[in-house]
Amino acid sequence: MPHPVVPREWFRNKEGLGLWEGRGKVVATGVGTSPTARRWDEKPETSMGALTILAIRKAIADAGIAPEEIDGLVLTPESTTGISKDPNTPPPPGWEKHFKMASFPQAGITRGDIDWLLLNMPELKNVKFMMNGPICMSVSFVAAAEAVARGLTKTCLVARGWHNLAGRYYVGVGASALNTASGRFKYSSIWGLPACGTTAMVFEEYCRKYGKSHDQMANFVVTSRRNGLMNPDGYYSQHRPEMITVEDYLTARWIAKPANIYDNDLPIMAALAVVFTTPERARDHKQKPVYILSHGQTRPESMGVVPTLEQWERSTDRMGRILYEGAGVGPDDLDFENMYDGFTLFHQFHLEGLRYAARGEKRGYALDLYETDISIEGPNPVSPSGGNNGNGRTRWWNHRDSILQLQGRSPSQIRKKAEIGVSGAPMPDSCDALIWSAKPPV
Amino acid sequence: MAFLISFDIDGTMEFGDPPGGVTVEMVRRAKELGFIVGSCSDRFPSWQKQVWDSHGIPVDFWVAKHMLPDVKARFQAERYVHIGDRDIDRQLAEQVGFHFWWDYEAVAEPWLAWLAWLDDQR
Repeated sequence: MPHPVVPREWFRNKEGLGLWEGRGKVVATGVGTSPTARRWDEKPETSMGALTILAIRKAIADAGIAPEEIDGLVLTPESTTGISKDPNTPPPPGWEKHFKMASFPQAGITRGDIDWLLLNMPELKNVKFMMNGPICMSVSFVAAAEAVARGLTKTCLVARGWHNLAGRYYVGVGASALNTASGRFKYSSIWGLPACGTTAMVFEEYCRKYGKSHDQMANFVVTSRRNGLMNPDGYYSQHRPEMITVEDYLTARWIAKPANIYDNDLPIMAALAVVFTTPERARDHKQKPVYILSHGQTRPESMGVVPTLEQWERSTDRMGRILYEGAGVGPDDLDFENMYDGFTLFHQFHLEGLRYAARGEKRGYALDLYETDISIEGPNPVSPSGGNNGNGRTRWWNHRDSILQLQGRSPSQIRKKAEIGVSGAPMPDSCDALIWSAKPPV
Repeated sequence: MAFLISFDIDGTMEFGDPPGGVTVEMVRRAKELGFIVGSCSDRFPSWQKQVWDSHGIPVDFWVAKHMLPDVKARFQAERYVHIGDRDIDRQLAEQVGFHFWWDYEAVAEPWLAWLAWLDDQR
């Protein structure tokens, strides 16, 4: 059964809307994270669907509530950004012994599906509100926040799983493994740039405009990996616990110069679930509530195939203004930023749009900031989650960590008091972001 | 007369992610027989050195994957080979004039035949 996607009018994608009506009416409490793997080994119990079920059960247990209390479920069905199987591909042998089947055979394998989850989680017997938050879990967080604020659900799960099959992921072998090339990537996936290519071009423009260099990224990349390795749930801490050095980074292979291999994030298998509820109900939850102060959205201006520096700067500036207007806070109120980093070379666009640790500057300061103390111990923690770069590709480590930071239980907890933080993903010109707070708004 | 073997790690070595079929013992044997051995991988070079040290193999080089030309410049050898599991391994090897073996070909330790060739030359 098809479920609705988030209504367009729920998004805060223009200025002048004032404080968000739901401000302080929605909180996050329980968080559940699955184990990670580099690729799927084709066993049902390690599938993307199985990981999502595991994450949901962990989130419910973490919140300290009964599964019957869950009355809403928001899911991001897409579970990869790479080349994947045809949705009608049959599941591997033995799948039906582990899971009940939904309406299409790849449910739980290469695509998340609300019906499939509910079929295979009989304990979720009271879910009445169901919605898909397409493409990015950031969209699902916004959808769940609005749904709780609007009274459509009282205790809502937000979930997303990621799969990574054997074989290549994007350009070339990945695309040519399919019988046809179609859709918006029909040219670029076969003959186009590597995935990081457009980011590399805009980053190059940025460096030229502000007199910066790729070498200035080194401390950000090293710090991100350090933060990620503190997270016992991250891919690298679980499977590749080695630390990168500045020299490793500076001598790395170019993928699309000036983007090197360590500016790219690693596709993995993983799933996350988070419990959203009202502040009143959260009093009975085990974990400290984290308030959502506002959310914001940007989408591309679509002026060409490749974005420009000006577009990304304009878009991230707008995101900053939308978020602060809705939340009733400003850049100086942020104790940390957890914006997206999956490519590292665009993180600074998000950061500068928010004027994070700007000290009066507007643009072109972030790479200088990266060369200062941006660690969790320092005055301006940058990406304390470690993001995709420190944990593997999910686009949700940043949101997860924002909640954990404000609950005071992040594995990479910032040393200064964490009261307000921000996280959003993915691209500088196509982003959904939220401002989170440890305290209700005054 | 020296022979040089460059090993990729992920998908090639038994301690790679994913594991490959080439064992640490094969590398150790090659080293003991006088081959110049090392790794050329997308894993951090600093980690490559650590992992070889942990296995007690004093490898001659540990470099990023695109550094094969530097390896060739640094070491004089009669023959050079890179072993890997991906097209990029073959591409980089052939660009710099290395012989190339796939990971599954390498499990038979084909480099040992070079020693027989060397004996014939003598």
